[in-house]
Amino acid sequence: MRHTVLTGIIIACAFSTPLMAQDFSKGSTAKSWDLYAEQKATFKAKVVDPLCTLAGDCPANCGDGHRQLALLRMDDNVMILPLKNSQAAFTGGANELQPFCAQDVEVDGLLLEDPDLNAKNLYMVQKIRLIGDTKWTKANRKTKDWATANPSVKGKGPWFRRDPRINTDIAENGYLGLGLKTDEAFIKEWFE
Amino acid sequence: MFNAKIIGLTIAGLAAFAPPALAKENGERIAVTGEAIDTWCYYSGVMGGPDAVQGTAHHTCALWCSAGGIPVGLLAEDGTVYMVLKIENDDTSNGGDTQLSIASHVITADGMYYARDGINYLVVSKVVADQGIINLTHEDYGPVPGFAIPEPKQ
Repeated sequence: MRHTVLTGIIIACAFSTPLMAQDFSKGSTAKSWDLYAEQKATFKAKVVDPLCTLAGDCPANCGDGHRQLALLRMDDNVMILPLKNSQAAFTGGANELQPFCAQDVEVDGLLLEDPDLNAKNLYMVQKIRLIGDTKWTKANRKTKDWATANPSVKGKGPWFRRDPRINTDIAENGYLGLGLKTDEAFIKEWFE
Repeated sequence: MFNAKIIGLTIAGLAAFAPPALAKENGERIAVTGEAIDTWCYYSGVMGGPDAVQGTAHHTCALWCSAGGIPVGLLAEDGTVYMVLKIENDDTSNGGDTQLSIASHVITADGMYYARDGINYLVVSKVVADQGIINLTHEDYGPVPGFAIPEPKQ
């Protein structure tokens, strides 16, 4: 009887915490950002559309670049959500994954795991390649895609200072979002 | 009889240890009130603590991040963050206009909640209320990051 109960407990634990102790940092060459909760992580995954996976809302080609995309890790079937690409310019990860929609890839980057903020399985993708390929692609296409989509605002300065939608919003509502009058008073005081 | 008891105990063990996220994979209708935040700055700490990357202090950066395709989250009053995958008929969660338009706003959303692998997701059926930007964090933190507001030229 004791043997049977122990077997049951072992089975329960095996199913409940699959590969919890697996170390995904092995083999990673990700660049540190010196973030409090970062862990280097490289793994194989399928690129998925979370809205499709969770809610069954499944347009062709993962939504053609309009949606957030996720990585269904092959080792444990955990769905990892990339928040960021490799660029230091307020840029997400979806554009980097879009060319690999529904394909099996290998990624390298930083996982964010912070129990204080309940952060789990959040990711910064730094490079990506199809499984079997030898050459990595740097996850830095977002600003190039932005430039292609915004040819009218070519020029110097980072994209976020030139983006028409952002500049329209700031022109109407101010940097604080509270209106131009509040903005003006704050800016005067702040830079005095 | 005995074997049935053992099997029952094993199943109970499995259920007790199973990840709670699995329970919400089929979706649950909820109403949630919270601020539309930039999830990268909130979770990474790259710009400081979580209180500094909300509200007016971080509004400009929230615009940058939303337009840049960083997932927008709804930070509820109890501290739960819901990744917003869709708002009404707009599924452009990668830098779309609807999500950009609510940056730093406190909204009440009715929708379907999904949880998977420790991450909460929200598919908003309807924005029931929009209180606008009411979290006046600039009074405590100034602009975050500091360069969000360019210094006026003399």
